[in-house]
Formats: sequence, structure tokens, C-alpha cells
Amino acid sequence: MKQIALYGKGGIGKSTTAANLSAALAEDGLDILQIGCDPKHDSTRMLMHGTWIPTVLDLIRERGEAEITVGDVVYRGFSGVRCVEAGGPEPGIGCAGRGIIATFQLLERLEALKGDVIVYDVLGDVVCGGFAMPMRDGYAQEIYLVTSGELMSIYAANNIAKAIARLSRRVRSRCTLGGVICNAKNIEGERDLVEEFARRINSRLIAYIPRDRVVQIAELQKQTVVEYAPDSNQAAVYRGLARTVYENKTTSIPKPLETDELESFALEFVQV
Amino acid sequence: MNSNPSLSNSSRFEGCTLTGALSVLTEVRDAVCIIHGPSGCTHHNFSLLHATHLSNDRLEVPRLLTTRLTENDIIFGGEEALERAIARAISLSPAPASIFVLSTCIVETIGDDVAAVCARDWGIPVIAVPTAGFLGGVFETGIRNALSAVASLARPATEKTLSANLIGEKNLEYDVDENAAEIERLLSRLGIAVNLRFVREIRTDDVGCLNSAAVNILREPSLRPVGEDFKRRFSIPYVDSFPVGLAGTCRFIEEIGRICGIDATAAVAEEKVFQAKMLEEFADIAGSRVYFQSPHPMLDADLDAKTVCTECTDALDLVVDPDGTAIPLPYPAPVGTTGLRRMLHRWRVLIRGMRQDKAYSKRPKREREMPPG
Repeated sequence: MKQIALYGKGGIGKSTTAANLSAALAEDGLDILQIGCDPKHDSTRMLMHGTWIPTVLDLIRERGEAEITVGDVVYRGFSGVRCVEAGGPEPGIGCAGRGIIATFQLLERLEALKGDVIVYDVLGDVVCGGFAMPMRDGYAQEIYLVTSGELMSIYAANNIAKAIARLSRRVRSRCTLGGVICNAKNIEGERDLVEEFARRINSRLIAYIPRDRVVQIAELQKQTVVEYAPDSNQAAVYRGLARTVYENKTTSIPKPLETDELESFALEFVQV
Repeated sequence: MNSNPSLSNSSRFEGCTLTGALSVLTEVRDAVCIIHGPSGCTHHNFSLLHATHLSNDRLEVPRLLTTRLTENDIIFGGEEALERAIARAISLSPAPASIFVLSTCIVETIGDDVAAVCARDWGIPVIAVPTAGFLGGVFETGIRNALSAVASLARPATEKTLSANLIGEKNLEYDVDENAAEIERLLSRLGIAVNLRFVREIRTDDVGCLNSAAVNILREPSLRPVGEDFKRRFSIPYVDSFPVGLAGTCRFIEEIGRICGIDATAAVAEEKVFQAKMLEEFADIAGSRVYFQSPHPMLDADLDAKTVCTECTDALDLVVDPDGTAIPLPYPAPVGTTGLRRMLHRWRVLIRGMRQDKAYSKRPKREREMPPG
């Protein structure tokens, strides 16, 4: 069983990438579990054709942990992908990070964490120990950073690399950096920039996903690109990503950049 | 269980902020204290307060309620649990006249807005007291936060009377009431009454008159921030400590007199006569050899204790000698002249005990093995 996690700045396209990755892997006949780890609980929505599935934490709140079965939290979506949403508290109250920890404990108890590949789709940034949960205790062994060529997105990716470097030193977690995925915003020289960033943090660019209108159109149809436009170039890109990730054997311990290194790196690439 | 005795040694007895606050708030007898956190925080403090009260011959049970938070409350926020607990407290019989809501480490971590929940119109005063220990506070911080919180029940701008408030009595120590009686005795020499013991065995309504004293007497100097706060809020000047030692007690009377505009000359003279008579009671131990020992390494730096010992050694012509009777340095330092008298009684017991031991050991061995008489 391969367990991977996608991390990156909020709004960068992690959920879209994760859902298409899961869809492409499932098409190849693999048993896929995708877990959305974000109180917004919209990670698996395209796989579920727009249905909002009950979140683990809503169920815990309404029924109590003892009353929950696997069938209450795991839903089959496109091509048989099994979907779970962790959910979280109302915005502005409580502790979403603790919610992620509780979700993992429940899924563990329900023995739901199984399949050929588990894809963890985690909210914007590693804001606290709770959101680092997928990296801890041997859950996701490979982390993929999703970033565009925008500086704020690179900053966020670098920050997450810090968390990976920290947690990879622990005995119980086996998490490493699997690579960097460039989800392009159509910025000039974007691919080179992200590729160079990946190299400097001791990793590599494993996929370049160009910007394509079909992503938005598929989203409006509440489907993944792989399902909505199976013959499109974009679907082929996602299938390529899926194959690369599934077959990837090369991982690394990242060496995150210091702030001044990041700033001088940025200056090198900005066209003045 | 004592709070930090002085600002200069604030690391002493660090302790839990919540416990410090409860040592004050449970003395508002018609109030209920809600501890917003896991039930263990309440259980632990209930046990401590109840046991301490029992050992001081007080039978009353502290009125504590817990919001009993569990993991779900932490994930989704504990404010609803707090609302339920406040509603429950109000419905208790007898109904509380006020409610204090104390926060704990975990609710401050997740950012529950305790003050906002308390600020709703509950029909009775519901007062938030910040008591999360992990924010750097100690036992003493809890006492200070609690005193400030209770003071919010004071009524504004009443006329000042020739009276004094006792601020921040250490409710968990043994001599609380004896110490208060001593202050009352000293004040009576100047014709000043005690206005309010703030906070010791009072009711919510009593706090209303906090404002009408002419002077605040702090239990110890570490409460200066509270003294300053009340000076600013109520324009009441303060004396920063209960009196310690023979000379200290006379200075205390002078200071109170100065603040209240009363000539203290006669009162001090009377107190000096009282002190001399008190010392005469201990003429039998005059000239004894004694040796002072710190009861605990953490208490070595208590200057008040050393002052008291030096004064009494001089007054009774005691001889300090390593072979003398071992006498623990007093902690906390005794309050006023009658505090010294109680301390000297203990010294006498130790000194006499040593004399008997020595007389006993000088007898022939066979005689020692036989029971006397």
C-alpha cells in the first residue's frame, strides 16, 4: 500500500490535482482511498459528482464515536474511488487540528486505512501539529508539494518542506518528499522556476500541469477532468502524473531554503 | 500552600494560576465558581481546597462546577458547554448571587471566548477570570486576577469612612483569622475599623462597599499590582504588607496614621508597652542557645524571617550557637506583635524540649530505660 499526501498553499489546486490523480489511478483498476483533511470538506466533491458527503467530525459530533461504522464515513465515487472527508468545527471556533487527529484515530479504529493507494489532501499550510498528522506516525510516506510559480506559493511550499525535514528525523514517521508538482498559472518561465526551486530544496519536479480551461468546465459539471473530458490533453497530463507518482521510487529529505536564500532565488527569476 | 511571599522571589512556589484564583474566589460564599475545562482541573482543586479547609477546621465545601470538556468540545469549541454550565449554576439551590468563570490551559489554547459568553445578560453577575497557567502565570497571578475580578462588583463613589480593607489574605494558611484579628487590634489603636476582608468569608453584596475604605492593607508586597490597581480605580492608598517584627509593627501603625491623617504617637507608645509585656512572658527562655534553620532550601532568602529572628534574639538575649536548639525560620513570617507571641511559644516548646532531652540523656542508662515514676 502506497500512502501519499499533497500539501501546498491554499487555492493552488491541491484538491483538483488530488481528485484527478485518484480518478486516473482508479481507472487503472487500483483501489484508491482519498481523504480530505480540511474543514472546508471539498476535497472529494468532484469525485462524488457534487455530493457533499457527511464528514467524520460531523458524525462524531452528532452520534458520538462509538456509533460510527466504516459505511458511515467512506463513500464510493467515480471509478470506485473511496472518499472520506475529515471536516472540522465551524469557522472561527474550536480546534481543527485536533479534529484531524481525532479523524485519524477513528479511521484507524475502523480499519478504513487500506487500499492500493491512500491520497491525503491536506489544507493550505501545516499550521499546527494536527495538520501535520498525515506526515506523522508513518501514514503518508511520500509528500508531494503542489505549487505554481508565484512567490507566495513557493514560500508556502518551502515552509511545508521545513515540516517534512523536521518530521523525517523522527523514528516513527517515515515521511519523505516525493517531489514537486507545478500547477501552472501561466507565468513566464514558470516551469524553470519551479524546477530550480525543487532542485534547491533537494527534490525534483515530477509533473508540470499546464493551465487549461477544461479544468474549470469540468468543475462546473461537478466532475474530474479525467471523467468529464477523458480524451483531453489535460486528462492525459493527469494520467501521466498518476503513473509517475505510482511508480516513483525516488524520494528525498528536503533542505528548505532560508528566507534570504528564497528572496535572492526569487530575484534571479524575476524579469526586471 | 502559600503564595509567593515577595516580588524579589517570585519563582517560589510557582503553582497553578487556577488554584491561586480559587483560593480567593471560593471565599465569596454565595457565589459559584465554574471551571471551564476538563473535569480533572476541578477535581484536583476541589480536593485541595476541601482538604486544606478541613485541616483549618472549616467544614464548608467549595462550590465548584466543571464544564467537563472532552475531546469533541476541544475540536468544536467549548463555548456551548460553558453556556450550559452557567445555566446550570444559576438553577442551583440555593441560587448563587454571582458566578465566576475560570479558564484553563486548554480553553485558552483553542481560543474559547469566555469573556463574551460571560458578558451576556444572565440576570446575575457572571465574571470571567483568566486563569490559564501555561500563559506564564503562577499561583500568585491567579490571586491577583481573582482580586481584580471580584473588585468589579464594587459600587462606585460612596463616601469614604475611617476604615481599612484587608486585601488578599492568604486563605490557605493556618493563621488567617488570627492575623486578621491582629490587624484589627492594631487599627483599633488609631480608631480605625475593618471595612471589608477582601476576600475572606464574604458575600457578593459585601463587595459593594469595597470602595468606601480610607486605606487598603495588602497581605504581602507581591500584591502591589493589586494595590496600584485599586488606587487607580477607587482612589484608595495602600500599605503594601501586613506588619512583620517589633519595629515593623510600630512602623505599620505610623504609616496607617500618616495615610489616614491621624497622629500615631500615642498608639505607637502603647504598642511598645504591649510588646515589652509580651516579651516579659518569655523571660524563662532568655539567654538560651538557639540555632536557626531554614525549613526548606527554597525559603532561604526570606528576609522577613531573618529580621524577626534577629529582633527576638536581641530582645531575649538569646545566643546563636550551632549546638543550640534547632529552630526553624518562621514561614510565613509572623504578623504583628501577637504573631511574634505565637512564634515565641513555639520556640519555648522547642527550647524546653531540648533541655528535657539533655537532662534525660545525662541520667544513668538503666534509669533511662525505666519509665519515669
